[in-house]
Amino acid sequence: MTDNTTLLVGPFNRVEGDLELRLDVQDGRVAAAYANSPLFRGFERIMEGKAPMDALTIVPRICGICSISQSMAAAMALADFAGKTPSPDGAKVAQLLHMVENVSDHLMHFNLFFMPDFARPVYADRPWHGRAVDRFTAAKGSALKRATEARAGLLHIVGLLGGKWPHTLAIQPGGVTRAPSARDKVRLSADLAAFRSYLEEVMFGAPLERFLELETLDQVSGWETGDVALFLSIAQDLSLEGSGLGSGRYLSFGAYPSPNGPVFERGTLVEGASGPLHPEQIVEEISHSWMLGEAAHPSNGMTRPDEEMRDEAYSWCKAPRLAGLTYETGALARQAIDGHPLATALAREGSVRARVLGRVLELARTQVEMERLLASIDPRAPFMRHVKLPSDGEGVGLVEAARGALGHWMRVEGGRVTSYQIIAPTTWNFSPRDERGVPGPVEAALVGAPVRAGEDTPISVQHIVRSFDPCMVCTVH
Amino acid sequence: MTDFSETSTAGQATAQIETFYDVMRRQGITRRSFMKYCSLTAAALGLSPAFVPKIAHAMETKPRTPVIWVHGLECTCCSESFIRSAHPLAKDVVLSMISLDYDDTLMAAAGHQAEAALEETIEKYKGNYILAVEGNPPLNEDGMYCIIGGKPFVDQLTHAAKHAKAIISWGACASYGCVQAAKPNPTRATPVHKVITDKPIIKVPGCPPIAEVMTGVITYMLTFDRLPTLDRQGRPAMFYSQRIHDKCYRRPHFDAGQFVETWDDENARKGYCLYKMGCKGPTTYNACSTVRWNEGVSFPIQSGHGCIGCSEDGFWDQGSFYDRVTDLTQFGVEANADMVGLAAAGVVGAGVAAHAAVSALKTAQRKVQDSKKKEEA
Repeated sequence: MTDNTTLLVGPFNRVEGDLELRLDVQDGRVAAAYANSPLFRGFERIMEGKAPMDALTIVPRICGICSISQSMAAAMALADFAGKTPSPDGAKVAQLLHMVENVSDHLMHFNLFFMPDFARPVYADRPWHGRAVDRFTAAKGSALKRATEARAGLLHIVGLLGGKWPHTLAIQPGGVTRAPSARDKVRLSADLAAFRSYLEEVMFGAPLERFLELETLDQVSGWETGDVALFLSIAQDLSLEGSGLGSGRYLSFGAYPSPNGPVFERGTLVEGASGPLHPEQIVEEISHSWMLGEAAHPSNGMTRPDEEMRDEAYSWCKAPRLAGLTYETGALARQAIDGHPLATALAREGSVRARVLGRVLELARTQVEMERLLASIDPRAPFMRHVKLPSDGEGVGLVEAARGALGHWMRVEGGRVTSYQIIAPTTWNFSPRDERGVPGPVEAALVGAPVRAGEDTPISVQHIVRSFDPCMVCTVH
Repeated sequence: MTDFSETSTAGQATAQIETFYDVMRRQGITRRSFMKYCSLTAAALGLSPAFVPKIAHAMETKPRTPVIWVHGLECTCCSESFIRSAHPLAKDVVLSMISLDYDDTLMAAAGHQAEAALEETIEKYKGNYILAVEGNPPLNEDGMYCIIGGKPFVDQLTHAAKHAKAIISWGACASYGCVQAAKPNPTRATPVHKVITDKPIIKVPGCPPIAEVMTGVITYMLTFDRLPTLDRQGRPAMFYSQRIHDKCYRRPHFDAGQFVETWDDENARKGYCLYKMGCKGPTTYNACSTVRWNEGVSFPIQSGHGCIGCSEDGFWDQGSFYDRVTDLTQFGVEANADMVGLAAAGVVGAGVAAHAAVSALKTAQRKVQDSKKKEEA
């Protein structure tokens, strides 16, 4: 390989949707990266002129794996627009549905999207390769089958409470359309128990509570059971703790809001210091996006694709910034902002390993939260409140999808949607450069990644990209 | 016309492919499981037990049919549905049968390797593979809204379709366009049959389709090496000939005039009919009310929300999803029930008319097949 080359990497498989990367390579390392989301559908424009309630059917179809997150954000934006809150027990059911989806996504990411890369022949000389092949070979490994089964079992909960998954319709601004009976509660707890035993037998190889006690990087490095231990030994051998380092800036919209505040806190974390989140400081820039218009807060934003696809731009994705800065979002951000000591330590590391472990930690914590939430649901309570939408106004719905902060901003005039703007988690993480030329989080994290001689799709780049768990269909929508 | 055994014979000459049974055994599926699978398949397809040995024989002797699965403008919900099929056995067997020779969401390879794998599969199984399409091509701006490997998806689609023996359009996107084609259809998202016009296409609509419907359709095609009987819209009649409304467990409430009026009323809790909340069950043909979702646990109406008609063409542009299908005021007695459904069908689409044409079409297809057989003889 020559000293300076440009690589065009894509299509990426085992990511949701399509992604293309342009890499400038110098002396065997990535010198600059440009992330392109090559898929545009125009959901924001489709929403214009529609009845506001239709958001509940249309926007979830942005994505077949985080559709409940989109439903939740739409339902919250509608409730905000109407100046109402859902009935408390209805909100609990909706949150349980949302937790199930987020957990399913983490499970899918670990087993089907991330780990299979270690089964590649390029690692044939590593001591752990045999186990990785056995467990995680794409479409064949033994771990994949168990994970898919466990996930299908867990999604019974969405089937029962939401009617179907993906693209559930039961979540409404006033609550949920299905009131679970006491009998349903028993079935649901059986589903949760089955999922816990899968996690404890396969993923963790030990009681979840033991993993949740871990507080330091040393302690987690010493974890010896389950597929988590296999990942840790691979991570150590490949020094994944030093790979794909982030900016140290994280944000979370706060996950699963309740009358006592969100289950996982809202806020920001900048180089270890936590602070409040000010959503009004969000701006979507478009200097390097094939979009027309001005940089704007999403409540004033618009989506007009640049059909000329001008040369200085390279992605359909806009570039969201908070107070002018890039932020990373996802399970690691969420857990660190919530203050879990292990997550805080991992956030300081900010690596491929940290992002994967952030998800693993959240899997265990969310299982415990789902059990608690289900136990607190009262089948006799009302699950829906009457919500009448005004004909004019604005609404905002901020939630946490599996991959991080998701926001919907809607404006309604004369009973019709006049503006609907969405910022998805992967829009934050895979944003292109902004006006000052500052690269997005993934673009920045890729700088320095080693490129081996003859590699056209560098393996290190794949680990880094997948550590963010991109959902490209959400990114541009 | 729908039988394509001829082309597959031609295909065999060029590529030596294992039988389904070989593949299954290699994947660790036992003889016992295999036989169980054959009975399940017969049951799922509505065939009598006499078909079980026929299915088994076919699978032991027929070469495996390769499948190429491509993704266009989409949300991947069809794959999501498929990999969670109710019967783990059926899913495993089907997955091992088709082994998704090329699928960019699940496969191991990436980048140029992946592109090479696609080319290799097309070349190796020319004229003998089934092309499964999830999503659709956007045609505005020369297809630039969906780029795969540096080229518009529409190019990949036409290229892969050229040597396919049949095409499956998975889901509402590939079949009809779906919500991404909703007004103003910013990218001109276009269903597959409007781009590929010279191949047999089977539409399996729904957003997403039910997992069991997907495995059922593909099993039928692989086992019998021909398309299942289609309705006038090109959907497999075995799964799309029932109106949701006719098999809905809330139908008695419709007939008795008992309706949910608002989401939070007492009638909602009692599980009354959702017609007044905009349920499109009276104009929708799908298997939701019988097969149900997520391993058979429920379906949208059972969760207290009306059907949105996601397996019908144009469901996304029929006014609000919460509008009633019709403004009829006289209903509530049994004698009127079907009139309501029929009138509503007139408003929403040609669903009923299409349904009525199915039986005629079946006869026509049978005639075509019979005459073809005669010619061959």
